[in-house]
Order: sequence, then C-alpha cells, then structure tokens
Amino acid sequence: MTPTVGELKVRAERARLNVLRMLTATRSGHLGGALSAIDIITALYLREMRVDPANPKDPQRDRFLLSAGHKAMGQYAVLAEAGFFPAEVLDTYGTFKSPLPGHPDMYKLPGVEANTGALGHGLPIACGMALGLRLDGSAARVYTVMGDGELPEGSNWEGASIASHHELGNLVAFIDVNGLQISGPTAKVMDMSPIGEKFAAFGWDVYDIDGNDMAQIVGLLESLPRTGAKPSAIVAHTVKAKGLSNLEGTVPSHYWKPTPEDLAAAKAEIEARIADLEGANA
Amino acid sequence: MIGDRHDPRKTFGAAVSEIAATDERIVILSADSGGSSGFGTFMKEHPERYFEFGIQEQGVTGVASGLATTGKIPVFCAIAPFVTLRNFEQFRNDLGYMRQNVKIVGRNGGFTYADLGSTHHSLEDYAVTRMIPGVTVLAPMDPDDMRGAVKAMLAHEGPVYMRIGNAPIPEIAEPAEFVIGKARLLREGSAVTVVTTGYVAADVLEAADALRTSGVDVELLGLGTAWPLDEEAILASAAKTGHVITVEEHYEVGGLGGAVAELLSGNAVAPLDRIAVPQSYVPTGPYAEIQQSLGLDAASLQRRIAELVATRKG
Repeated sequence: MTPTVGELKVRAERARLNVLRMLTATRSGHLGGALSAIDIITALYLREMRVDPANPKDPQRDRFLLSAGHKAMGQYAVLAEAGFFPAEVLDTYGTFKSPLPGHPDMYKLPGVEANTGALGHGLPIACGMALGLRLDGSAARVYTVMGDGELPEGSNWEGASIASHHELGNLVAFIDVNGLQISGPTAKVMDMSPIGEKFAAFGWDVYDIDGNDMAQIVGLLESLPRTGAKPSAIVAHTVKAKGLSNLEGTVPSHYWKPTPEDLAAAKAEIEARIADLEGANA
Repeated sequence: MIGDRHDPRKTFGAAVSEIAATDERIVILSADSGGSSGFGTFMKEHPERYFEFGIQEQGVTGVASGLATTGKIPVFCAIAPFVTLRNFEQFRNDLGYMRQNVKIVGRNGGFTYADLGSTHHSLEDYAVTRMIPGVTVLAPMDPDDMRGAVKAMLAHEGPVYMRIGNAPIPEIAEPAEFVIGKARLLREGSAVTVVTTGYVAADVLEAADALRTSGVDVELLGLGTAWPLDEEAILASAAKTGHVITVEEHYEVGGLGGAVAELLSGNAVAPLDRIAVPQSYVPTGPYAEIQQSLGLDAASLQRRIAELVATRKG
C-alpha cells in the first residue's frame, strides 16, 4: 500500500490543484512558499508519517508542525488529499470563520497540531512535542517545515540548541530553502548561509536535498536513522511557486493575487503534468 | 495577625514538588532558574521530569507548549520579566492562543529584586498576562495562600501566570481553601473598600488594622487571583462602602487598579482611587526604601488611604 515515488508525484500535483481551488475562493494567498514545500509535505503525510485521518488525535501518531505557518495552503492541500477533511472545505479558504484561515489553527482543522504563523515559534514547540513523546516512551516522531526566511528569528536557534542538547533524535526539521522572501532574495535580505553548517554546529545531523524532487525526498526519509540522539535538519533546496512556470522563482508569487485567467492557465498546466505523470506510471 | 515568615520561592518550590512527586504529568522546566525557584530537591529526586535549558525563555515557553500537547503539565519558573515580557509572543500564541495547560511562574515580581534595577523588576506582568484571552493570573498573598494557589493552579486546565516575590512573607490569615477567581474578605468594614493582590497584602493589612484603630473602618478584599476579578465581591463591597481603593506593586496602568477601573466603568457604584507604582523606572536600593519612596510601605499606605477617604467623604 506504500505509494511509489511516481504515485506521490501525482498526489503532489493534485495537492497543487487543491491550492488553486483554495485561491479560486479568495483570489489571494501565500502561494510561493506553499508550492515550494508541497512536495515535502506530500511525502510526509502520504508515505512517511504514521497518521490516521480517521483518528487524527491518536496519541501514538507522528506529528507535523508547519513552523512557516504562511505556507498553510500547502498543508491544507495535502491534508485534503490525505482525507483529513472533505475537499469541499477547500472552497471556504479565507472566508469568514473558515476552518482554513491564512495561518493554521489546531482547533479548526483535523491534522493541524499547532497555531503557527508568527515565525520562529515552530521549532521550540516541536522540541516540546518530541520531548513529551520521548517521556511517554513513544516511538512517534515530530516533523516540521521551516522557511529559510524565518531563520533570522533568534528563537529558532534557541530551539536548535534545545533539540541538540536534549538529544531529540525523534525530531526532523526540513528547512524549505526557496531563497526568496517578500523583500527579495534571502541572501540579500539577511544572509543566513551556510544553513546546514549552522545546524551542524549546533549538533544536528544535516542533509541536503532537492526539496522538489520526490525521489530524493523519499530516499532521504527512508535512510534517516530511526534511532539516535541527534535531531535531523534537512536543507531542502526548492523553487518558490514550484510547478507554475510563469511564477517559479519570482517574488510576486510570495503572495499571489491571480485573475480567473491566471487560475485557469495554472490549472491547465498542472492537469497536463498529471496526465503525463499518470501515463508514465501506467 | 502577622505570623511566621516564609521564603516564597522555597514555599512555592516545595508546594509544586510535593504534588509533582505523585503526578507524573508535571514536568519542571528551568532556564538556569530551577535551584533558585525552589526545585533543588525535586531535580535530584526526579531528574527524568526536570529539564534544564539554560538562559532562553522564548525557547522554553515554546517547549512548554509542545510538552502540553502530549498531556504534560509544564511548570516554568524564572525571574518575572523574563517569563512575561521576553517571551510575550510565545506566551500569547503558544500558550494562550493554543490553550495549553502550562504554568508560568514569575518570581522576584514587582520591584522585589530591588537593587538589581528596572531590568529585573516586573511592574507590567498583571497587565500583559491578563490581556491574553484565557490566561488566569494568580498572586498569592501569604505562604498558606501560595500553597493553596499552587494546588489550584496545577488542578486548573489552561494557561496560568503566577507572581511570587522574593523576601520572606508572613502568614496574614487563617488557612482557607484557595478558589481561583474568589476574593478573600480579610477585614470587614464600612468606610472604604480596599482591594489588593499578591504579597503586598501583608503591608496593606497592617495599614488597614492601624486605620481601624484610628477610626477608619476599612473593608479589605484580598485577591489571590489577580485576574479574572471576583467582580461580585468587589461590586458588592463597593456598593456597601461607596469608595474603592486599589493597592498593588505594579504600574498604575493596566494592573489591578486598571482592571477594577474597567469593572467600575460599567458599574459606577463607587469612585475609585488607585495606589500603585507611578509610570517611571523606580529607584534601586533596599526594598523597604524603594517602598517608602513610592509610598507603598504600611505607614505610607495608612496615611494615603486616610487622606483618600477624607477627600472622598469631604
């Protein structure tokens, strides 16, 4: 039943379609980061993590925490694809009292584990989850996706020191390095490179992958040590707005305000890719 | 009645440790602050539930939130400004907004860290913590009240902030059950309602008793819960005496006086005077001398309350 890399690629594209479906309702949202991280989130929910959409509060579940909370559409899209809630709910994105606000709310949507959005909060919370699970003797793991743009927040490095000092080997942090933030290239706004070396210096095991390459994501997750004292930092090099050729690697994709024509063109591009991928999988 | 004095930190730490010894959900978090918060024994007896993080309050507050999602009851005690202001956004988002069952305890509250100066004083903590929806703010008045407050805090589901002081505090009242949100009627009177909270209650009580001896019949309400207010008790007493005075070791903006002003603004049953710390960086030096310079010691309180009563009655 474990999905293949080819199948996961299709599911990630379907999740991209879910993002477009959300934007159809509001016509504005944090697109770029949602799409740069969506392949990672797809691999986590649909293959890597032990989670059950029918029992989203199972104490033994693996946890996923979106530290870069503005990438929420990426998480919502995958939660819908994984069956945590009916796809029709996507149409409420951004509407009054929707369970899908611009930043995730753990009390509104099954599968959401924390109220993130203020940057630099996710990693310390993830550390607390990992510590609590360890205290319970649980084998569950905690996964988080951080953004490269949030790394200047000092609380991240408090979290980095905690995870290492307290030997949270059950914690896996992806850093979605899409290289762009709202004011421009992260290297120009505040250069936090070398990111991997920083985490390594804090005592983490560090890996580098192409975070939009499903085979690399899955391959790395399979090879991660299942036990051990060191937390894992995965520096995932990605492309902002990955999958929409007109927007890839552009700053305006950070917060996109599409016209109906933009959405139709984007949908056609993704559907064509799905057809190709399904053909290849057949 | 002013009884034996007890160290507030040791009293607090012992009270938590006693309950934590048998409740495995309770975990103690330290930002280089555990020993000085009264957890010296607990850390030796239960090292598996005692976690040191070094000096970093934002990270620890986030960790507390994450721990609480797994059913733990984290208790994090350190110097008051560092667990309310330094980490304010974590307090608001990770504890308040996420509705986590975490207990944050600010020790050396007010200006009890007297000579260490304004960086180590905490004269905004009631204001900032009570602004966060769902947060309960406790300020026990004496050692017995503190033991009761600890028990109630650990039994309460949801984020709690508790302020404790530094210098030994005396027993000021007969032991009574601590009920979150309930005021204690420390003295019954008819001339004026004095409302106070926290460890300053001992000085306020001394002032109130001296005033009663001199013919000013003070009714004294002691709030072990600074927020939410016991509105019923305050309004009933205010209606009876026709004059309310708040006394606190906090800035005059936003604290107990501010909260009572908000209450009375919608229920104008009595005029209100607020005795608090003026909006300034207070002098450094011995605690008692700072108190005197701000008119917050028992003798000054006696004089100021008498003056306010005379002004309002005149």
